[in-house]
Amino acid sequence: MSIFPENVSTYGQAIDNLFWLILAFVAFAFFVSLFILIYPLIKYSSKKVNRAEYITGEKKKHFKWITIALVGLLLSDFVILYVEHDTWGEIESVPSKADVRIAIIARQWNWIFVYPGPDGVLGTTDDVTIDEMNSSLHVPINANIVFELRSQDVIHSFFLANTRLKQDALPGRTVIRWFNITKPGKYDISCTQICGILHSKMRNFVLAETPEQYKHFTDSLYNANKPATASN
Amino acid sequence: MENLHHKKSFWSKYIFSTDHKTIGIQYMVMGMFMAGVGGYLAYVFRYNLAFPGKSIPFYGMLGAEQYNAFVTIHGMIMVFWVGMPVLLSAFGNFLIPIMIGTDDMAFPTLNALSVQIFFLSAVILIASFFVPGGAFGGGWTMYPPFSAGGYLNHNPDFFKALFSGTSLLILAVALEFVAMLMGGINFLVTTVNKRAKGMTPWKIPVIIWFLNIGAVIFMFSVGPLVAGAFMLLFDNVLGTGFYDPHRGGDPMLWEHLFWFFGHPEVYVLLLPSLGVLAEIVPVFSRKPLFAYKTIIYLALLSAFLSVLVWAHHQFVAGIDPRMATFFSIGTILISIPFAGIFLSYMATLWGGKITMKVPMLWAIGFIGLFLIGGLTGLFLGSNTFDIYAHDTYFVVAHFHYTLFPDIFFGFFAAFYFWFPKFSGKELNPKLGKWHFWLTFIFFNGLFFLLFFNGLAGQHRRINDYSSFSLISREPYQTFEQIATISAIGLILSQFIFLYNFISTLRSNRKSVKNPWESTTLEWLSDSPPPHGNFNPYPVVYRGAYDYSLPDVPEDFTPQNVPNPNNN
Repeated sequence: MSIFPENVSTYGQAIDNLFWLILAFVAFAFFVSLFILIYPLIKYSSKKVNRAEYITGEKKKHFKWITIALVGLLLSDFVILYVEHDTWGEIESVPSKADVRIAIIARQWNWIFVYPGPDGVLGTTDDVTIDEMNSSLHVPINANIVFELRSQDVIHSFFLANTRLKQDALPGRTVIRWFNITKPGKYDISCTQICGILHSKMRNFVLAETPEQYKHFTDSLYNANKPATASN
Repeated sequence: MENLHHKKSFWSKYIFSTDHKTIGIQYMVMGMFMAGVGGYLAYVFRYNLAFPGKSIPFYGMLGAEQYNAFVTIHGMIMVFWVGMPVLLSAFGNFLIPIMIGTDDMAFPTLNALSVQIFFLSAVILIASFFVPGGAFGGGWTMYPPFSAGGYLNHNPDFFKALFSGTSLLILAVALEFVAMLMGGINFLVTTVNKRAKGMTPWKIPVIIWFLNIGAVIFMFSVGPLVAGAFMLLFDNVLGTGFYDPHRGGDPMLWEHLFWFFGHPEVYVLLLPSLGVLAEIVPVFSRKPLFAYKTIIYLALLSAFLSVLVWAHHQFVAGIDPRMATFFSIGTILISIPFAGIFLSYMATLWGGKITMKVPMLWAIGFIGLFLIGGLTGLFLGSNTFDIYAHDTYFVVAHFHYTLFPDIFFGFFAAFYFWFPKFSGKELNPKLGKWHFWLTFIFFNGLFFLLFFNGLAGQHRRINDYSSFSLISREPYQTFEQIATISAIGLILSQFIFLYNFISTLRSNRKSVKNPWESTTLEWLSDSPPPHGNFNPYPVVYRGAYDYSLPDVPEDFTPQNVPNPNNN
């Protein structure tokens, strides 16, 4: 089994790959360092050595090995930085093509979902708000879901582990993030910023559906909400 | 002991003393007591995680509110009431005067005031559990608006708000900072002004350098947080809105102020323990510390860099994505000096004559565990991977792999090393080894598997995972149970230490004057050192690490031995 939960997003694989790349560096550094630490304990044990060598390490030729190790560490760090840079930009910026625009609003203790209504535009009177604990956010698969993330009260954090996406929801500001799910299914949304007594129960779902199922869902949702909107 | 009792009463000798050694021991004892409290809290919430819904032995049922308060105060205690007093204050007070060859701190009365204020802060912290509403439960980072009234403990009544868990916690932390500031000033003034004749900067032992660099980092970074803490207190008590966006405030302001202090604080905690390693590794390798001057320069560099990394705690907080790259680079850069310091310690071993006495075991264990802690930091320093790993158990395991060896392995290494100095007695080395191995094994049992829980998406500060399908499945629940059983084992192992400590103090196993054959000045005075430490005061002729000099028959040359070449 995989050490990660199943990845279902377009950019999740890049994050998983980044993990394995860093692990390769880390594992190499770990075993080399462990050798440097443990081997002398055996080789230079007082049982085998009469007198220690007098080496202050102030000479360049002695410090050379540490310099090499540090340069190696710095280089591998910058390789990681270089490799991850595009993924970071991809996740943190808004894609030019938004297939669905929604809003996700956190409150103590629930995730509220706002659908744009028939006009497809958020912030208009036909928006439909769902505020029910354990509810599901319906989204179509293979579509760029761009969402505005806000909070009504304290700081929460939106975490959709199967897409690898996490983003804090702060009161007073709107953060725009996106995901694109490639596989139909029901995935946990959790809150990862401690927010009070029911922090542990702040769990909703993303329900990724085929475009037809999604269309069917929104049609019935908007129809059911029409009278209420009209009466306003 | 009896000859010491003649002059002073118990109160003036042990409680209101201005002697740096007594104050150091007071800090140490209080820190150890608070470690017990923090450990108990950890036991309670770890038991709850492994066996949810079960009644916890020695506690009872744990509700969500108590769970949140326990994880919060556990973190607070371990950082501010264990790490700081034990590593900075206890080591600093006990070691600085005696290792630079002087009688006491520069301001002994200020020093006594510092420890009394620290005591008061600890009392207020513990009292916060017993006020209506209980202790604060919003995480040790205290992010507003959650911590800023209106959502948790806030009460429009001024006095009720003042005596809420949140306000008391802020007050306790503020007083703790005051105590540490007084100590820090003392460290600097003492080290600058009171060094023994001949102790030029490059003859100062690394631990003294590091304690002072730590104090400077602390004093530099704490100011903004104190300002921030006052605003937080006002939000709670006076109903201001510094952090409330509905009234023009901004919660992000606190995050920056907090981490501007919070990350350098990590190095404040790390440097004293690295100093301990720098004293212990050469002694048990009978070899000069490798690259002494370079190590000092690296630590100074790290002090500078330490204030350029803070927002790596905020990669997913909604900061400008371009800014994250800057802090990623800062994080990469600061790994370099610390890697250099650790590698220098390892290089000290090569070509030495190594004896694995108990302090050395702890020192090597420290380096080994910190290796895991430091390297797993690479995953989190990567802003992209942090999107996934932030606020998961991967972070929890990572920082416990840094802070636990730092605080506890560093403390125990120092304790076993300097115990003969401050007591004149010799600890039982066999019990010391048992203590080490059990602590080492149980610590790994506790935290290693939690890396995998984190990678599986397990997020932090959740008292009940039953809602989360990714976590409430095998093998992750088994990992939780292994972690908890290890935590209990870890706590129980400390009783070996307590038994060793107390039974040795009551025994007559006198230690020799310089049991480890060390070169530094503290071993020139009697054990325990009398009031005034030295008679006559030592004169320093050489650096702190003259082991196995080529032309000297002994394998160590104390700092007060004249150097025929240079002087």
